Amino acid sequence: MADHIGCIPELDQKKYDAREQVKIICLGDSAVGKSKLMERFLMDEFRPQQLSTYALTLYKHTANVGNKTVAVDFWDTAGQERFQSMHPSYYHKAHACIMVFDVQRKITYKNLANWYKELREYRPEIPCCVVANKIDADLKVTQRSFSFAKKQGLPFYFVSAADGTNVVKMFREMINRAVDYKQNPSDFMDEVLEELENFDLEKKEENSEAEEDELKAESPELA
Amino acid sequence: MGFQAKRCGVQFNPPSIVLVYIHTDTNKIRKRIIPIRNFFKHSDCSTAAERLKNHPRHRGYLDQVPLHQLEKLHIVLRDHMQGLSLENSLASFQLDPDEDLNKLEDEELARKKGQMDTLFERNRKRKDDPDFVYDLEVEFDKSKEEKCSWDEESDEDI
Repeated sequence: MADHIGCIPELDQKKYDAREQVKIICLGDSAVGKSKLMERFLMDEFRPQQLSTYALTLYKHTANVGNKTVAVDFWDTAGQERFQSMHPSYYHKAHACIMVFDVQRKITYKNLANWYKELREYRPEIPCCVVANKIDADLKVTQRSFSFAKKQGLPFYFVSAADGTNVVKMFREMINRAVDYKQNPSDFMDEVLEELENFDLEKKEENSEAEEDELKAESPELA
Repeated sequence: MGFQAKRCGVQFNPPSIVLVYIHTDTNKIRKRIIPIRNFFKHSDCSTAAERLKNHPRHRGYLDQVPLHQLEKLHIVLRDHMQGLSLENSLASFQLDPDEDLNKLEDEELARKKGQMDTLFERNRKRKDDPDFVYDLEVEFDKSKEEKCSWDEESDEDI
């Protein structure tokens, strides 16, 4: 029933239900280096599949986790972030999320809060991490603590897509966490929370008042 | 037969891309002027850059020149065709760290990304570099960490 959300004709998202398939999404502002990180991790495997109609790029990867082979689909935005929000199908059935900001641009750090909020609306439980990219531009940033990750209880990585610092480590750990999540899914919780939409409380109150008024007006006739 | 690209620039009249390279057989420095044809003030720069990069007569020479640099040079050429001064054209590539790049159109964003790519390429470690390590791991000493000023103001919204 929830599957219409994931409706991208070229992509059957039901495949992510199969045991050996995981979906990992990337979030973050324009030009923080999301694609560059993918490229650095995948190297020769780097064969992006552009779905320009959906402003989406897919990267396929095969990983060995424990003694199993897992097919990993990385979902990257291709400019969709400029709408300040992603289409629900982007989050649908995702098993992990990599959130990236650029250590040279404060606004990309501040915007993490918005990305995280949106992520949790769709996927309240999936593993997520915060990635501080472009540390090669100024290594001094690695002596600063960025509190957002700590506040949200998320793992934090200082990385550089240019010189490769911690890129592979970060991806491997996130693939492991995605596979773990899949083996012990809290999908049920996810679904329940999806049903509990954030109602605009004020509107709700207004509505209930309006109903009361109607009842009063009608009551003489009923009597 | 190999070509090692050294510098790549632009010439306005006639519109051309200029490449300075070393011919690796002879070790001589040479200059190649590539005329840019069928490119006008409303042409698409990324398409034109791609066309040039794959051009059968030039691609060997341009192999080491990144596509984004060719795109940038096309933008500079086109700015000139549109009457923009070189100074203003180059200024449009500059980065303002406070600018919200989510709000830019494709082409403006390409300009900014071009600037970032310059830094990226400078610091980039390639697979064929002798000190390349695929899974490079670096631990940063957390005990010396100082609070980041980005967390100070309006702490509640983050």
